Amino acid sequence: MSKKLYDIIARVMDIPISEINDNSSPETISSWDSFNSYILLDELEAEFKTEFTIDEVTETKNVSDIKKYLKVHGIILDD
Amino acid sequence: MSVEEKLSYYLTKNKTLENDFEKSIRISILSSFTLNGIEETFKVKCAEKKIKCITYLGSYNQYNQEILNTESKLYQFNPDVTFLILDTRSLLGDLWYFPYSIDVKQRKDFIEKKFEEIKNLIKIFTKKSKSKLVISNFNIPTKSNYGIFETKSDFGLQKMISKLNENLQDFIADLDSTYLFDLNGFVTRYGENNIFDSKQFLFGDIKIALDFIPHLVHDLMGYVIATLGLSKRCIVLDLDNTLWGGVVGEDGFDGIKLGSTPSGNAFVEFQKHLLGLHSRGILIAINSKNNLDDALEVIEKHPNMILKKKHFACMRINWNDKVSNMKEISADLNFGLENFVFIDDDPINREFMKSRLPQVLTVELPKDPSKYAKVLEEMNDFNVLKITDEDTKRGLMYSQQKERKELEKSSSNLQDFLKNMELKVIIKKADSFTIPRISQLILKTNQFNLTTKRYQLEDIQRFSQDDNMIIGCAQVEDKFGDNGITGVFIVQKNSTKEWVLDTFLLSCRVMGREVEKSLLGYIVKKAKEHGIEKIKAKFIPTQKNKPVEDFLPQCGFKKDNDDWTISLNETFHIPDFIKIEEE
Repeated sequence: MSKKLYDIIARVMDIPISEINDNSSPETISSWDSFNSYILLDELEAEFKTEFTIDEVTETKNVSDIKKYLKVHGIILDD
Repeated sequence: MSVEEKLSYYLTKNKTLENDFEKSIRISILSSFTLNGIEETFKVKCAEKKIKCITYLGSYNQYNQEILNTESKLYQFNPDVTFLILDTRSLLGDLWYFPYSIDVKQRKDFIEKKFEEIKNLIKIFTKKSKSKLVISNFNIPTKSNYGIFETKSDFGLQKMISKLNENLQDFIADLDSTYLFDLNGFVTRYGENNIFDSKQFLFGDIKIALDFIPHLVHDLMGYVIATLGLSKRCIVLDLDNTLWGGVVGEDGFDGIKLGSTPSGNAFVEFQKHLLGLHSRGILIAINSKNNLDDALEVIEKHPNMILKKKHFACMRINWNDKVSNMKEISADLNFGLENFVFIDDDPINREFMKSRLPQVLTVELPKDPSKYAKVLEEMNDFNVLKITDEDTKRGLMYSQQKERKELEKSSSNLQDFLKNMELKVIIKKADSFTIPRISQLILKTNQFNLTTKRYQLEDIQRFSQDDNMIIGCAQVEDKFGDNGITGVFIVQKNSTKEWVLDTFLLSCRVMGREVEKSLLGYIVKKAKEHGIEKIKAKFIPTQKNKPVEDFLPQCGFKKDNDDWTISLNETFHIPDFIKIEEE
């Protein structure tokens, strides 16, 4: 499932999967601007069939946070 | 067709567009809210139609400054089409939340003031730019502090917006290069609860949810298609399981589904939609593998057939392959394959058509006939910027065309046929009645077109005011009826001795009847009256204008470097069987 998440991030940010890790964030990925974060949010919600709250979105600073909130929504990422 | 991709599809696709374009357009987008992603979507949707699209997206909520400042990037960009998309929240500000904080009179004044502001923007923009302007109307709010009483309140929130919309529509109806996009209709169609995503709004002032941007662009593409003259002219239909349910050859006249109960009513519904398009000028034709007699019996005698024989501009009902039939229909109706839409329930036929004739727009028809009508409704390929008299009469004109063809077959030679036609060419000036049609012909005509110069409606209006230009058109009548305005010429007066034929074209509808010689003869006569010594013309070859290739030498023009010229000392022969009148 982690792969699924990384695939989405790679596609939206237009970067290779190898460049993504738990610490990836708008600070480390130049294409991660505010517009792409809306797209990412939209894609994640569609792919994992869930909806994040406005607070969850504001508190998400990096990939590790995304994983944390996916888990809160009962989405288990392997590996 | 009815299935739209998510915005992310367009963002990704835009990175890998092929450089295979036939036309190009410059689009600018101004808005009162965030419309990120709209540029990428336009580029991809244009590329699908082989249009190179260059875009300019105005800065966030800067539309006023962009329009008012002559030096703005908007004007420097020099757009062909400009979309100004405004939203009700931005328009109302805090009144969106508290509309009843001011009284009725103040609400009326507020709307009047906003209307004046927008009118002013339109006036300034159209004065400064040659671009077409498409401005959206306002989404009528469905929420109200008054709840169920809203609809009884005096000039309430909903009434304020609907009044503004009405004023805008009336104002724009009389403007030539400004169009009103029904954003309120768009929101109604997809639903306010879907279009407005509160999270996206609060994070990024996004007022049309990201995944509805592609739907919005789909609608706006109608203006692009119309501006570039790419609208489709003819729908070619299969019969079995397309115009009726079942297979007439197997199920028989009484066994096919076509009537007032499901699923026969789905086909009646579809036929009614087709007839609606036909009555505004879209031709319909048949391309079907069937026994001619079986099919004709249904078309002529079935009580529930909405489309009658007279509605079909052309019929190919036989056992030939559909691609050959399509080519014949194109030749028969005398316009190129790119003007056709092909509708067939059989995916194999569709694949065959798509692979052999990619110019034809093959529609993905859903399996379920109850969805057929919806497919037509959602197509943006029939859009035109003006619907002229010629358009609404077109269906009738094509059934007269069938009678002409029969006379041609029964005549022993072409001269006899032409003499029997009782042809009449009426020359008309460019005025408010003829200019829309002149512009339409200039944008559309490919075959009998000497220079294929494309001018927009606004250009024609300018030319018609210019003393150095003569612009006229020809209405062609014959004993079967009126062909409408089917010829256009533009003459540039180069000097007191020389005229230049800038544009000379004839609709395919009247080709092959020597009308072109009468029309040119008229120009020659006028030139002589003005003491002109020679007329210069150009033939600019394109992939499609072969029919006009030999026209100039045939009329006595001599090659003169890149141009063709004719000296007016010589006699110009015009066909004696065509009467010319001047209006």
